Amino acid sequence: MEITVKPIDAVIFVGTGLSISFRLLLGGLSVGLFLGLTLAILRHNGIGRRPIAHYVSLLRGTPVLLQLSLIYFAIPGILGVRLSVLSAGIITFGLNSSAYMSEIFRSGIEGLPRGQFEAAQTLGIPRFFIWKDIILPQVFTAILPALTGEVIALLKETALIATIGGADIMRKSQVLAAEQFTYFMPLCIAGFYYYFIVLFVESLSRRLERRLRRAHH
Amino acid sequence: MLTIENVYKSFQGNMVLKDITLAIEGGSILGLAGPSGEGKSTLLRCIQGLENIDSGKIVCGGRIGFMFQDFQLFPHMSVLQNVVYAGKFQPRERRATLLRRAEELLERLGVWNLCDRYPDRLSGGQKQRVALARTLMLEPEVLLCDEPTSGLDMAATADVAELLRSICAKRTVVAIASHDMSFLTKVADRIVLLRHGTIAADIALDQFPNLPKLAVSFFEE
Ligand SMILES: Nc1ncnc2c1ncn2[C@@H]1O[C@H](COP(=O)(O)OP(=O)(O)O)[C@@H](O)[C@H]1O
Ligand SMILES: [Mg+2]
Repeated sequence: MEITVKPIDAVIFVGTGLSISFRLLLGGLSVGLFLGLTLAILRHNGIGRRPIAHYVSLLRGTPVLLQLSLIYFAIPGILGVRLSVLSAGIITFGLNSSAYMSEIFRSGIEGLPRGQFEAAQTLGIPRFFIWKDIILPQVFTAILPALTGEVIALLKETALIATIGGADIMRKSQVLAAEQFTYFMPLCIAGFYYYFIVLFVESLSRRLERRLRRAHH
Repeated sequence: MLTIENVYKSFQGNMVLKDITLAIEGGSILGLAGPSGEGKSTLLRCIQGLENIDSGKIVCGGRIGFMFQDFQLFPHMSVLQNVVYAGKFQPRERRATLLRRAEELLERLGVWNLCDRYPDRLSGGQKQRVALARTLMLEPEVLLCDEPTSGLDMAATADVAELLRSICAKRTVVAIASHDMSFLTKVADRIVLLRHGTIAADIALDQFPNLPKLAVSFFEE
């Protein structure tokens, strides 16, 4: 058992997985935010309350690995379509994240005084703009920490893409491990990559939070 | 002119307003009096359309402005933004003069110097003025104020009375709900007393100069 690859080459090799990991993160995040927000607003307006509650409960109540396999292996078989690994990943992580995000948005919306809606209404502001300019900016500031947590959870979940052959950071480190007959270094490198992204997301969130709060004082 | 005819309103079977009939002329201030929980806010909210009435009729001659008890300024907007934001959705001819009118109003209310501040850095009285300016930007024909003196000290309360009187110099209908009888007697031309969901008394103040004393003793029963 000997290590033949130089550490710098190992870092570069695992780093080639960054592109897939990032695409999964950004894709999943976009789907999750958009769908999560839409569901929260629908639910707030009393539209589809029951089905949305079931959707959230189901997606939070089953393993993401199972959801990913279902979407990548089972659904295409039934519907007769082929999904790429990347799209299956984005759909799965996006849908799963939308369940969590819709709950985060919901708590933020319900945390606002009802008077904010009413005041905007009595001033003759159209519904769309009440949401866009009055409600959501306040909600967003309030839920930013929870949202950051969800982004981090999403990033870590994307590692599951390795199970269906997606060449992300995790998968690359496994490949390296198999070639080099050593797990320690490749996995540590993958871990550092994830952790660096998390640190970056956290600092971004902190800066955004400071800016939002400063803007209100 | 605002008329309310045989209005009933209940919440989950709890009848809050029973057969309220009331007409308010423009250019006068109506004080809605009564202890807490007697339906003052509910009546104002029904007039504004924030609550649906069970039966009856409310006819209002024009735009309504509503002052909330806790102001409900938008915390993420500066004073000026709070005042002008809704103007975007007004008719074109009023949009053109938006900033000028905002400045004029804030100036008149003595808070123009605070126009860049955010609401959490305003005192209660300042918030009150900003909220009033924001509402007056609509140029309402009917102005509804819910407990406009709550959280204000004596001096600020006197100021509010003065302000509301000066606004009302025009043809505006003003209705003020307050549990503070001595404030109402200073500001209103007419006082309607709500008890148990009905109008227990309806008094024109110029005919009853002694009302303040009477009313205060009424509340102290
Ligand atoms: N949204 C609501 N749901 C249920 N009950 C309400 C609601 N709003 C007001 N009420 C009830 O109506 C009554 C009158 O309330 P309110 O109009 O706020 O009184 P006031 O403003 O005179 O203090 C109270 O008993 C209150 O509990
Ligand atoms: Mg009240």
